[in-house]
Amino acid sequence: MRITVTVNGEERALDVEPRRVLADVLREDCRLTGTHLGCEHGVCGACTVLVDGEAVRSCLVLAVQCDGASVRTVEGLSGPGGEPHPLQRAFSAEHALQCGFCTPGFLMVAAGALEADPSAGDDPERVAALVGSNICRCTGYEPIRRAIARAASEWPRTPS
Amino acid sequence: MHGDMHGAEVLVVEQWSRREDERLLTGEGRYVADMDVPGCLDAVFVRSDVAHGTLREVDCSAAYEVPGVVGAWSAADLSEMPPCAQSAATLQDLPPVPYVLLAQLSTEEAVAGREWPVLVRDRVRYPGEALVVVLGEDRYRAEDGAAKVTFRIDPLPAVVTPSTAADDSVRLFDGLSNVALRGETGEPIEESVWREAAVVVEARYRQQLLMPTPMECRTILAVPEGDALTVWSGHQAPHRLRRELATLLGGLVERVRVVVPDTGGAFGSKSATFPEFIAVAFLAVKLGRPVRWIEDRLESMTVASRGRGQDQRVRLAADADGRLLAYELNIDADIGAYPHLGVGLPMQTAWMATGPYATPRVHATVRSMVTNTMVTYPYRGAGRPEAAIALERSMDTLARELGMDPAELRRRNFIPPEDFPYETPTGRRYDSGNYAAALDLALETLDYDGWRAERARRRTDPDALPLGIGLSCYVERSGGEPGGLHEFASVEAHEDGTLTARCGTASSGQSHETVFPALVAETLGVDGTLVRLVEGDTGEQPEGVGSFASRSAQVGGAALREAATLLVEEARARAAALWEVPEAEVAWSGGTVHPVHGGHGGHGGAAAMDLAELVKTTGPMRVGGRFESGMAFPFGAHAAVAEVDPELGTVRVLRLVAVDDCGVVLDPAMVHGQAFGSAVQGIGQALYEGIPFGENGVPLLAEGLLDYLLPTFAEIPPIEIRDTRTPSPSTPLGAKGAGESGCIGTPAAIVNAVADALRVADPCLLQMPLTPDVVWRAARAPKFGEVGQAGEFGKTGEFGEAGEFGKAGEFGKAGKFGEAGEAGEAGEGGR
Repeated sequence: MRITVTVNGEERALDVEPRRVLADVLREDCRLTGTHLGCEHGVCGACTVLVDGEAVRSCLVLAVQCDGASVRTVEGLSGPGGEPHPLQRAFSAEHALQCGFCTPGFLMVAAGALEADPSAGDDPERVAALVGSNICRCTGYEPIRRAIARAASEWPRTPS
Repeated sequence: MHGDMHGAEVLVVEQWSRREDERLLTGEGRYVADMDVPGCLDAVFVRSDVAHGTLREVDCSAAYEVPGVVGAWSAADLSEMPPCAQSAATLQDLPPVPYVLLAQLSTEEAVAGREWPVLVRDRVRYPGEALVVVLGEDRYRAEDGAAKVTFRIDPLPAVVTPSTAADDSVRLFDGLSNVALRGETGEPIEESVWREAAVVVEARYRQQLLMPTPMECRTILAVPEGDALTVWSGHQAPHRLRRELATLLGGLVERVRVVVPDTGGAFGSKSATFPEFIAVAFLAVKLGRPVRWIEDRLESMTVASRGRGQDQRVRLAADADGRLLAYELNIDADIGAYPHLGVGLPMQTAWMATGPYATPRVHATVRSMVTNTMVTYPYRGAGRPEAAIALERSMDTLARELGMDPAELRRRNFIPPEDFPYETPTGRRYDSGNYAAALDLALETLDYDGWRAERARRRTDPDALPLGIGLSCYVERSGGEPGGLHEFASVEAHEDGTLTARCGTASSGQSHETVFPALVAETLGVDGTLVRLVEGDTGEQPEGVGSFASRSAQVGGAALREAATLLVEEARARAAALWEVPEAEVAWSGGTVHPVHGGHGGHGGAAAMDLAELVKTTGPMRVGGRFESGMAFPFGAHAAVAEVDPELGTVRVLRLVAVDDCGVVLDPAMVHGQAFGSAVQGIGQALYEGIPFGENGVPLLAEGLLDYLLPTFAEIPPIEIRDTRTPSPSTPLGAKGAGESGCIGTPAAIVNAVADALRVADPCLLQMPLTPDVVWRAARAPKFGEVGQAGEFGKTGEFGEAGEFGKAGEFGKAGKFGEAGEAGEAGEGGR
């Protein structure tokens, strides 16, 4: 089935089997392997990407459902010229990653929330809900919480 | 495909805390599943749906009709394949799974007569055991093919606990007992000691089976090229994998290269040569095509190795002043269906049975039983959590019986700092320790007195939820066992002034790329950005041992430090030859050789020369070798405060303090991060993680990670990590291993806190994980002081006699819970 998906700002015409999940199409067809598969049943969140700005488990979505949509992956987080995203800087500063496998999912969950509403990062309960939505086995989560709060505090708040 | 993905360029690190961070944060990390190898086939395994049975029939033919399926083979099919064309290998049948002699994890005796086939030949011994391997052009096609394979298995009764395996009424291997290994440490303790002691605590503990659950499951990609085979795997011991694969494939070790790219966690579970790895490498060589296996989560939850799995019976005796007289630990260990990977692992528990106390008599026994479960293998802590939990739970019970502060009881019995090195009755030689200092820091950090006051207040307030305080002091072992206490490392200086450090270790998230170059740079006195690390590649570093047993900093780090020191000596020797002066006349500082006297113009014009110039002048410079280290014994004290809701059976940990001592710390931020993550895994064992089994021995995990509950952020209490630093005299850096502390120290602290809150008379009612069901029942049991002496509970039954568990409460429910439903009612709690 032919679909058109805008991935990280670039429009891509793809011919995919209807049964293929978005994660596989991103990883195998688009060769964007930053999106990781940790459980393939929607629990761990490692595969989280943004579809039209909303955080989505890409292992639970068929690629064909994203026809005409805009998808953003961890590869699309950095600014033009490779300027690190505030979340990327904060994750490093707070040691919010060790093995790094779950990291893209946490980054995208947080990016979706903070980009929709930067004040989400000021509310401990909302930050807790973000961190609690994914699984990490290395860090114990607290550094991830601190990183999201830190990124929020450094977030550009002027209306664009 | 080369091993230099970790960045050959001089790194710009200022804006990143670790060298690993930039690529891992931008999606540029490269894990095995990310590799793009043209023509690569995906392997999928058809697996047994029963725990134990006789394979009667397998038919792969329909799979061949599926478009995109390249082949599907049972064990019989693979023994009938035509001889292989590739000269690298003289493949006959699919070889069996090798066993691990390292660290005495397995023994020749235990595996004799118990072959572990890569694919089932006639007998299924664990649920999910692989029957058929299917190769497809991609994962979807391979799974289409797997769905077409048919098989028939006649089920046999399954045994899934050590207690039921022990009586041999169902045997996994015909003609052989299920007891695959017996061992002991220390001397048997005379009955008079128990009889004459003022207090004797007896108890039984279940160390439930756990799933290590790294975020990335197991991976392997085998790429044959001519006579060579390159294997990519998320792995902790690439050199061992290389050696074992080469042996199994009948080829030369030199023709196999194993490369470990980014690895998504391991926690001990990624250091073996698994059946699936052998099938993949075998078919890659047979077909002359790249083949990969990317394990998925449900597969991992079914067939990846388990951790823990012990039924323990303990006796702890003390005099009226609380001085420990004797400790006995009897272990019935569940080692899974085959003894190849972990039959000897429970000996780690026996060797560490003494713990941090100067107990004069300690005796530990082990019976390792094969059961119809996937094999047990090291998981973060690997034998030491089981030792610490049994002893520390018993210590809190003893304190209660003596009416003594549990902290004071421990202080009275610690091995004092001046007694190191200390030979334990169970065969360990502890290198160094200051156990009281760790405990004192933990109590102070916790505000022990404040929480004791709060506990007292709540006991008089009928509306308050009960609160308890739990302590756990541990000592563990790091670095590995004799025969594996060495590592290979080298340092090479280049003409451009940069240096390459190579080491036989392999990182799976422990920041080696950051920590090791810093260590080498510090030793040399050069800028850290000049040094890069290459590890996890047998092509770059032909010999190595790997990263497990908390050995990388302690053993690998020491090896790199020594290699760097040798490089300095080499540079001085070369300069001396060049300048025709004695070596003693050449000094080294900041990456430069210079004459001791005079400097510029002295000694016939010799001037200071930097390393780059020296290499340009004298040729390539790479020094290194094999470096031996010693065992070390990290320790610590963990303390937890927990609040229990007796109506809901819920446990809320209000505070957790972990004080760990891993000697000299190379990088405090990294050690802190690992200690924190480890503590969270310890919380998982204490409160959440367990594998429920059905009547037929098959794990009840249909909902995957919704059935096996890993801690999420919602479950994380306030945790404070502190450290004391007692250097190890037996390792060159003074560093002891780090990162396993939380799994070892935390669980008992939490369980003790719950036991303290409930004041339950029979602590055996609290078996991990402390699910609401377990806690709710314990909350309704007699309280301490209500039923005479609690010590009598332990005497009600002999562990291992199935019928007794039911009487002692719902032990079976907490053991392989769910398997027998209400074990108490069934009257066979162990089954």
